[in-house]
Amino acid sequence: MAKEEEISESLGRQFPALGGKIRIQRARRMWVEVERADFETVLEYLRKSQGFVILCTMTGLDKGENLGVIYHLAREDGIMLNVEVYVPKADPVIKTVTGVFPGADHYEREIVDLLGFKVEGLAPGFRYPLTDDWPAGQYPLRKDWKLDPSFKTGKIEET
Amino acid sequence: MSLVSRAITWSRIKSPWILHFNTGACNACDIEILAALTPRFDLERFGILLRSTPRHADVLVCSGPVTRQARDRLVRIYEQLPEPKFVVSVGTCSCSGGVFNGCYNMMGGVNEVIPVSAFVPGCPARPEAIIDGVVKLLGSLQATK
Repeated sequence: MAKEEEISESLGRQFPALGGKIRIQRARRMWVEVERADFETVLEYLRKSQGFVILCTMTGLDKGENLGVIYHLAREDGIMLNVEVYVPKADPVIKTVTGVFPGADHYEREIVDLLGFKVEGLAPGFRYPLTDDWPAGQYPLRKDWKLDPSFKTGKIEET
Repeated sequence: MSLVSRAITWSRIKSPWILHFNTGACNACDIEILAALTPRFDLERFGILLRSTPRHADVLVCSGPVTRQARDRLVRIYEQLPEPKFVVSVGTCSCSGGVFNGCYNMMGGVNEVIPVSAFVPGCPARPEAIIDGVVKLLGSLQATK
């Protein structure tokens, strides 16, 4: 657990606001919750100085009043640090991290389409993964979304 | 029934050419369909040939729950099949949507989009079950025509 403690301490020194909030779940698994305002600088610091060069994936959450996203970062020696960010559902705007992790492009498009986040700074492109004729404003992976029967388009009749 | 129409019916039943289409399945049913065509299970003894274009086919063999994106393509392919045409839906997903029933992107089974003549359930459907379904379809053609 020496390396995890080391990472926890240097992160706490660099960002005093995160001081006591870093949780070490077990060997090689750490969690930290970050405010929306400075999570980009935290990720940049983690990538540049602490060696967390791998973005494994991003998990989107719907917690009722808040929407959350977890960035699963990993190091070459197997230590994973999960960075959680929560935003209110009424204002789900976050900044893109494609400057730090270019591979986050697809994951951010997914949370934009399926959960209704707005990601500032994302390069313009096709919507992913929903189809082009998907109606706007419908976010299927939110807990309060129901399948509308009109989504099933008409059937060919037997001749 | 006149001799000519009986001969036509006989030839249609004895050589149903198929087109296989995957509308968003996990591929297990596709593997079983292709296995049914190999000499071990031998669908070809019924005169069935796997064609690569819907214009040559009599029967459309579908697998998979129909995704929103595949729906338009499936309809187009169905319309390209010349009459008389039949549809066999292979696997639980194409019969009713299977595990994906009610998902936000699925139509829920091939019969929500095009009329189906034979349903072959299973996950994946065994090649023996596919042969059984095809033989029943051919038997029903014999009876009606």
